[in-house]
Amino acid sequence: MNSIQGILIACSVTAAILCSIIFRTKLAIRLLAIILCATAIVFVLVPDLTTVIARRLGVGRGTDLLLYVSLIAGVHVVLHLYRRTRELERRITEQIRASALRDAEEFGRSH
Amino acid sequence: MKQVRNNEVYVVIPAFNENSVLASTVREVLAHGYSVVVVDDGSAKSARECLDGLPVHYLRHAVNLGQGAALRTGSEFAISRGAGIVVHFDADGQHDASLIKSLISPIVRGEADVALGSRFLNAADRGAVPAAKRIVLRVGILISWLFTGIWLSDTHNGFRALSRSAAGELRLEENGFAHATEILGLIRSSRLRWVEVPVAVRYTEYSRRKGQSVLNSFNILIDLVLRRIFH
Repeated sequence: MNSIQGILIACSVTAAILCSIIFRTKLAIRLLAIILCATAIVFVLVPDLTTVIARRLGVGRGTDLLLYVSLIAGVHVVLHLYRRTRELERRITEQIRASALRDAEEFGRSH
Repeated sequence: MKQVRNNEVYVVIPAFNENSVLASTVREVLAHGYSVVVVDDGSAKSARECLDGLPVHYLRHAVNLGQGAALRTGSEFAISRGAGIVVHFDADGQHDASLIKSLISPIVRGEADVALGSRFLNAADRGAVPAAKRIVLRVGILISWLFTGIWLSDTHNGFRALSRSAAGELRLEENGFAHATEILGLIRSSRLRWVEVPVAVRYTEYSRRKGQSVLNSFNILIDLVLRRIFH
């Protein structure tokens, strides 16, 4: 095992542990993190495996396959976060509106 | 609709850092005897001081949410106070309060639920719109039509009037400027009767500076596309 493999494995394990800590109540995400971590370790230890899969799928090299997969995953994450942000914005709006309506003032009626 | 008294017409004026012109705009509307609801959309300096003494309803968003959100807050408040008609009015002084009467008349007569001000129905009003703005608005009209199926002579004109029931149905979810197109979509889905009414717009140096830039219209478009995807 060369040094880059060691670094990559350490990174994936750390990521999986952090993910499990952050999403303490979400079993699905924790399982996903563990599965992804295990897969990553396998691919790091046997790099040629990605090329075998890539060939099957009609992609030239294993690294290209990883690039495509991570691009799709990245876009998915961004869209998911956008959706969450909008939902959050909707709730904040509701709260601020409710307090604005509650604290409405009426200034002096001179006539 | 039965006769609507002027104080049952609630003019909602969203204000975000408009303090310098807000008071004169409010005074102009009050002069016609309408009820005024100022929604301070989280301005850095509270609009309260410059409104001091003017008989208005004052609501304040704790943080800035956007014009669409402010209009909805103001409209909900107006309905809760028994408004017969809700009018949306810009704070920057570009709208003429004396035109509120002709804007609301189709609603008073019971011929429409929503009256939309248009800068392009009269040749004279049309000339007052700067050329670059006219092109952007043309594109906006096309986009509005694509998204809502309503073909208007004008778009993103903040001057509009809604009957009490229409104001209750138009629950805007678009906090920013895209609400103008969202309103058209809601008009259609709620099967409201709408009409366009010619209005002149005063392009003062101030409103030009404060107004939406050409680039911002692209932002509005992206908002609308995202809205389509995520709702």
